Amino acid sequence: MPPETFYTPESMLRHPLRLFRLMWRDLLASRELAWRLMVRDLSAQYRQSLLGITWAFLPPIIMAAGFTLAGEANVINVGATDLPYPAYVMFSTALWQTFVESLNGPVQAVTLAKPMLARVNFPREAIILAKVGEVFFNFAIKLVLIVALFIWFQIPTHWTVILAPVALIHLIMLGTFIGTLLAPLGVLYQDVSKGLTIITGFWLFLTPVIYPVPNEGIFGSLVKLNPVTPLLVTTRELATTGVVSDAHQFWVVSVMTIFGLLLTWIGFRIAMPYVIERVSS
Amino acid sequence: MIAELKNKIIATQNKDSEVVISVEEVSKKFCRDLKQSLFYGVQDIATDLIGGRRKSQYLRSGEFWALKDVGFQLRRGEALGLVGANGSGKSTLLRIISGLIKPDTGIVKVKGRVAPLIALGAGFNPILTGRENIYANMSILGLPTKKIKKLFDDVVDFAEIWEAIDAPVQTYSSGMAARLGFACAVHIEPDVLLIDEVLAVGDVKFKMKCHQRLAKLREKGTAFILVTHNPHSTLNVCDSAIYLKKGQLIQSGESEVIIRKYEEDLCLNGVGSTTGIMVLPRKQNDDLGLDILSLSFRDEHNHVLPHLLTGEPAYLCVECIAHKPINNTNLGVQIKSLSGENDLVLYLTSTSDQCKLKIPRGKVEIRMKMPYCGLVPGVYTSKIYLRDGIRTFDSVEAFRFTVKANRNTSKCLFYQPREWEIVLK
Repeated sequence: MPPETFYTPESMLRHPLRLFRLMWRDLLASRELAWRLMVRDLSAQYRQSLLGITWAFLPPIIMAAGFTLAGEANVINVGATDLPYPAYVMFSTALWQTFVESLNGPVQAVTLAKPMLARVNFPREAIILAKVGEVFFNFAIKLVLIVALFIWFQIPTHWTVILAPVALIHLIMLGTFIGTLLAPLGVLYQDVSKGLTIITGFWLFLTPVIYPVPNEGIFGSLVKLNPVTPLLVTTRELATTGVVSDAHQFWVVSVMTIFGLLLTWIGFRIAMPYVIERVSS
Repeated sequence: MIAELKNKIIATQNKDSEVVISVEEVSKKFCRDLKQSLFYGVQDIATDLIGGRRKSQYLRSGEFWALKDVGFQLRRGEALGLVGANGSGKSTLLRIISGLIKPDTGIVKVKGRVAPLIALGAGFNPILTGRENIYANMSILGLPTKKIKKLFDDVVDFAEIWEAIDAPVQTYSSGMAARLGFACAVHIEPDVLLIDEVLAVGDVKFKMKCHQRLAKLREKGTAFILVTHNPHSTLNVCDSAIYLKKGQLIQSGESEVIIRKYEEDLCLNGVGSTTGIMVLPRKQNDDLGLDILSLSFRDEHNHVLPHLLTGEPAYLCVECIAHKPINNTNLGVQIKSLSGENDLVLYLTSTSDQCKLKIPRGKVEIRMKMPYCGLVPGVYTSKIYLRDGIRTFDSVEAFRFTVKANRNTSKCLFYQPREWEIVLK
């Protein structure tokens, strides 16, 4: 006996139990599809590219080269970092890039999948999951660079490095949370993806990527309020010194991220049929 | 083949079989203004997110009903045709049934897996090979990898693309890509198949294969909803049909009745299509210069023939009004049989007969003499147009007529007028 599905105008929130059951079922059902979509997107991406995985390395290297040169010429004055400066910039940029990818991923993926979304009813979670998988894959490639970096600069690591992935996962979850929150709106209005580009540009300067965590002034408190700061800094600290400077802030942001992600998932499910009805036909 | 298909359908039909799709009082509204439509979308999402009532049964300003109170039921193994002009809500209905968009009123109950044949090749990436795309596409349609592996050979066999399976899909011809998409969709063996005007992919041979495959699926109990502008497909495949017009369900019932009603509406409520003469309503704006007033078949004495007789002479009379003299008019007649396939039985144009029709200003009648009617008994529908080059003055989409016989045509496809004699040598 095949399962029976109902489509009604009512809000799904009025039947929370059914909603959660459906969410669980779709999450399970979307694993394989997400894998397929990820493999599809990655192979298409690399097949139509000459430089291939080099694209994952280039931005951190260029950033590091630029800021190291500027620092040596005393054009900019960053304080002392606990790692050699080029390594500091490269490692932080790699982390920041991973965050930006996870932030842009859902909006891009949902917009690209518009024709598919408008025609086939498949678990929508799969597109987001596929994108998250892609972020992890890209980070794995960057890891090669990071390992090379650690060997080159002879950066001492601590046993806490095995905890670093936890912090990294939280960082990616934060990006996915904000990205998924914006994705339905991003399909309706192009302003979202345009705005995201500008905001991430500005956001970078509020995040300790090219400078160490500042402690003074309005700027210092702005950087502290930035939710990316504790996650990114903790990842970096766990991987290198092993001394976590602000564990409290890290857990506050992490818990908020996890709850936010769950709520966003519900919102995403509810919003998608309305979005699809407005964009296509 | 089609007749065989239909027999099987009737054999598997059973009024007591289980209902797979039930649509009750379903409505859907849309908004034509894009900005406003997007804003309403955001408004709906916001209301839904706080669990409020959308009051979706009322229209907001600028909205219209794309579907209004439509209801029907579909049982296992049944085929239902959806007919209606463009914009009558057919695709909207299919999209609600497949769960892509929410209805604004009413309820849709679906049992089992619904596969949309609306989306041939959904998720095809042109860069990737046919092989990779089969996996991606069938996953999107909801099949686990293990099952795709098992079906893979069948799909490629069906699409007949073994030699190109490892080439990127962007190197495929459009026919090949469509075949691949169709093959993926029909191999997932759904409980309900939604078909939206896609049976026209590929060449004749592939079309036959598609029909056979669909017939096989029906034997296994798959129900169909078929959307098409082509009445023949509906008549051949569907036992029942519903007719939508501007979102309203006009009529539902046996497909033959529904198609007749639809075609009557199509030719602008042409009066008395069974009496052998069709009078068209006068047009409001006469910009095109030449309008058809009526169509009829007449005998030598200018009497309207209620039906043609095989082997007897007849005149096709096209009465028209010209608002200016037109020198080079081309009258075209395309005749199709209602009971057969969608093929043309006859295609006659005055230009191909080297006859340039000079039409003076005013009311005229163009006559085509048929010394013998070569059509065998049956019901035919014809499209009649007046053109100059590629410019169309006027056309009638469906002028129906009946051919009867007072002699034996021996169940042949064509009547050959003949005389016998013996000549001494």
